[in-house]
Amino acid sequence: MTWGLLLQAVISGLLLGGVYGLVASGLTLIFGVLRIINFAHGAIMMLAMYASYWLHALGGVDPYLSILLTAPLFFVLGVGVQRVVIEPNRRAAEHNQLLLTLGLALFLENLALVLWQGDFRTVRSAISGTSFMLGDALVEGARLVACAGAVVVCVGLFAWLRLTDAGKALRALAEEPEGAALMGIDVTRIRGVAFGMGAACVAVAGALVTPFFYVAPDVGESFNIMAFVVVVLGGMGNFLGALLGGFVIGLAESLGATLLPGSLKYLVVFLLFVLVLLLRPEGIFGGARGR
Amino acid sequence: MATSYRVSGGGTISRRGFLALAGAATAAGWPAIARAQAREVKVGYILPMTGPLAFEAQISLNGVQLAVDEINGAGGVKSLGGAKLTLLPGDTQNKVELGNSEAARLIDQGIVALIGPFSSLVAYSVRQVTEKNKTPFLLLAAVADNLTEGGLRYVFRMQPNGKAMSTLTVNNMLEMARAAAVPVKRVAMMHEDGNFGTTMGNHVEGFAKASGFEMVQRIPYNLKSPDFTAELSKIKAARPDLLVISGYYGDSKIIAETAAKLRIGVHALVGLANAAYSNPRFIADNRELTDQLFDGNYWHNPQSARAKAVFDAYQKRFSQVMSSHSVQAYQVVHVLRDALERAASTDRDRVRDALAKTNLADHILPQDAIRFDDSGENANASPALLQVQNGRPLVVGPARFAETKPVFPVPKWKG
Amino acid sequence: MAARAVGLVALAALVALPPLLPKYFLEVLISVLFYAYLGESWNVLGGYAGQFSFGHAAFFGIGAYTSTLLFLRLAVSPWIGMVAGGLLAAGFGLFAGSLSFRYGLRGPYFSLVTLAFAEMLRVVAVNTKAVGSSLGLSIAPRSAPALFLFDGKLPYYYVILAMALGAVLLTRAIERSKLGYALHAVRENEDAAEAAGVDTLAMKLRAMAISSFLTALGGTFYAQYYGYIDPSLTFGPAVSIQGLLQAIVGGAGTVLGPFVGSFVLTPISELSRAALRGRAGADVMLYGLILVLVISFLPHGLVGWFRRR
Repeated sequence: MTWGLLLQAVISGLLLGGVYGLVASGLTLIFGVLRIINFAHGAIMMLAMYASYWLHALGGVDPYLSILLTAPLFFVLGVGVQRVVIEPNRRAAEHNQLLLTLGLALFLENLALVLWQGDFRTVRSAISGTSFMLGDALVEGARLVACAGAVVVCVGLFAWLRLTDAGKALRALAEEPEGAALMGIDVTRIRGVAFGMGAACVAVAGALVTPFFYVAPDVGESFNIMAFVVVVLGGMGNFLGALLGGFVIGLAESLGATLLPGSLKYLVVFLLFVLVLLLRPEGIFGGARGR
Repeated sequence: MATSYRVSGGGTISRRGFLALAGAATAAGWPAIARAQAREVKVGYILPMTGPLAFEAQISLNGVQLAVDEINGAGGVKSLGGAKLTLLPGDTQNKVELGNSEAARLIDQGIVALIGPFSSLVAYSVRQVTEKNKTPFLLLAAVADNLTEGGLRYVFRMQPNGKAMSTLTVNNMLEMARAAAVPVKRVAMMHEDGNFGTTMGNHVEGFAKASGFEMVQRIPYNLKSPDFTAELSKIKAARPDLLVISGYYGDSKIIAETAAKLRIGVHALVGLANAAYSNPRFIADNRELTDQLFDGNYWHNPQSARAKAVFDAYQKRFSQVMSSHSVQAYQVVHVLRDALERAASTDRDRVRDALAKTNLADHILPQDAIRFDDSGENANASPALLQVQNGRPLVVGPARFAETKPVFPVPKWKG
Repeated sequence: MAARAVGLVALAALVALPPLLPKYFLEVLISVLFYAYLGESWNVLGGYAGQFSFGHAAFFGIGAYTSTLLFLRLAVSPWIGMVAGGLLAAGFGLFAGSLSFRYGLRGPYFSLVTLAFAEMLRVVAVNTKAVGSSLGLSIAPRSAPALFLFDGKLPYYYVILAMALGAVLLTRAIERSKLGYALHAVRENEDAAEAAGVDTLAMKLRAMAISSFLTALGGTFYAQYYGYIDPSLTFGPAVSIQGLLQAIVGGAGTVLGPFVGSFVLTPISELSRAALRGRAGADVMLYGLILVLVISFLPHGLVGWFRRR
């Protein structure tokens, strides 16, 4: 084991972790406000990746620029899904809401399959092929942009939550559901906004990863389970925790790959996950404690 | 199960006359007679049309369809008086339970043979269904070696199994290295950690001693992993001469891209039954990356004029270049047609016996005649060694099928 | 009385009809009963105790692997291995359960931790040569009833029918027992139950042990029937989801819910596949839609809906 390998593991882990963090931010936002573990999160990300792909393939739009279109589009889509599918079941049992999103995930993944078949599609941005060496470690341009973009969006969202009225209302609802209603906040609308923002987060994440990834109907699965892990790690409903948790999981994954034989890297991730759940269920960084 | 269309007591009747008669018979409530006289041979397929392997499944199905239409267009099965092949579809969703029930359903519907199911996992249990119901089962894409073990009578595999695929590919590579006077002493391998990749990995590792190379790294990985930089850095540090990769499409793409950027420093990157590296679509989408990539895979014989015609037909119909899965699927249907011709019957046992006696020289594969040994494996099955050159995967080995000379070592991978 | 008569007729049909069915229907009926069984097993913990496990694949896999390894390596009959697998799974269930319950994991936290346990076992199995790694373990087909291997599908059908009916009877017994009442209290309001003097931890662990034991038996059945197991088939999330889906759609926490769920869901899936053949994905898409609709409009499952009418 050389320092070069460790440095590489740290850099790769951090770069990947940023993306995990952004995906998880959307998930944690939804959980914080709606108290739902959204199993369709990966599927929505997949749809967003297709959106970026088609904008590129048909309109020649660079995947990074496509964010300007896909983020608002998926916000609206998220609000719609929440209004039509989730909201009517607001008072349903927790596990039913979980299954609801599972059904939604099945529906969306296979909708993509029906519409675009199982083909793997790739999008190349101008920086897809670029990379540089930091000492002995490889830094890929597209992954760096994705990580940086994810951090910027996360920080922006954090500011939005702190500074705007809608953001404040959203936080109030996450922390004190009953109190928020009493304060005259339009609770239904805010729940929609939360789901919409969650979807917009994965729309951005999707556009950021397409230049170094591929697009296929089940591509969301690569990020979905990791996002659950990250959300718990960061504390469910804890926004900044999700970003930091993303980095922790990214690091655990790549250090696991470097230090362990076989494909045991996920064992590290899940072990970490179980330990945090048991020892610090509010997450490493604290968060809304589940009831 | 009579399939002659001689009306009892009379001579052969015209097709139109026959259809009219069959229609009348059905209308008059003689379905049994109508069925006996039907001019069709039902062939079932089960493929993972939905789920993670949908892309590969569709490509395979294209090959099956092309062959079926070609056979029907050329007058069907001659010895059955021009009976047409009718395809009955089955979707396994890559699930064992569905593989079983779809196979049972198709057998209930009277198929003479079953083609599929792509994934070895599904094949394990489906072969019990076909065996029990005495239905010939022509494996497609499933590579697990032990699928034909256990004295099964109805399972046939035309393509190279895992062992043939991996050992012959490594052999082809080593031969080429010797010819180029470049020693290959250190081999590293990455493979997906499912049944397919692990089968390949075990064989390459097991083959090391006999062929005088050292396996310096072997890294199984999860298909869904979004990043392989750490794994590839480990491989780079082990300074291998060759990097062998067995994977599916998306993972293989990311691995090749990362290896290129890492300047992995090998003589060549070699796919082993890789789903991407000789895939025309992958090559078209990634011209620079794929240039001079190797892949040991099932393939067609580029010297065959017939293969050329088939490729043209495929291109015309599906607007894409035919790839290895469709070649296998196409050829399997022709193996079945050949057996049907010789059996002159749709009786499943007769078809099975005819399949066992197959000796088909007129085919489009890079091998001698297709023959099945006692276990149902194609005795002459052989992968081709391919290299992407100028955006096309070209056969560079074995020598007698080669269409061009290999570029080896590959300068760009040497970093 | 009428309900009992209907039940008896259905039972008689389940026993008498299968020998007459075409292969396909027998195959589907075995799937239906197998899923019903998994649903019943899950139901004890997920339905009655209200602990929504998302990782029952862990127990299923332990059952499948224990009996198969004992059979292949030590020639122990899977009939015995089945019990061994059940006990091992129950032990693992008690371990995982006491960890999670003691640390107060409820609701989605419990779901996620069980999912993680199953995934960990999957990753370990993939990377362990001694249990066959990803190559899995296969059992060659032959006829040896003493070894849980039969010629043809019909005997397997009666085995799974017996298992499913056994699970139903056991569930009914639990429902009417002291354990049943305690679990009901836990599910409705755990804190109140605790305050009323119910030992909630012990009750939940009991449900966990029963549920994991039963699920493991299903794993052995799977291994014997399909003749092949591997880490993703047995420890994968699909197994966990299959079990809970039947229970939720049919009615979680009801004796017949999982049965009803499976008898509705499996045919729907088969029919939609038949109707939408040739359009890859359309059938599963429809399945997802049906799931959403069922949960939206029948939140207490089919049995719950029927009762409330």
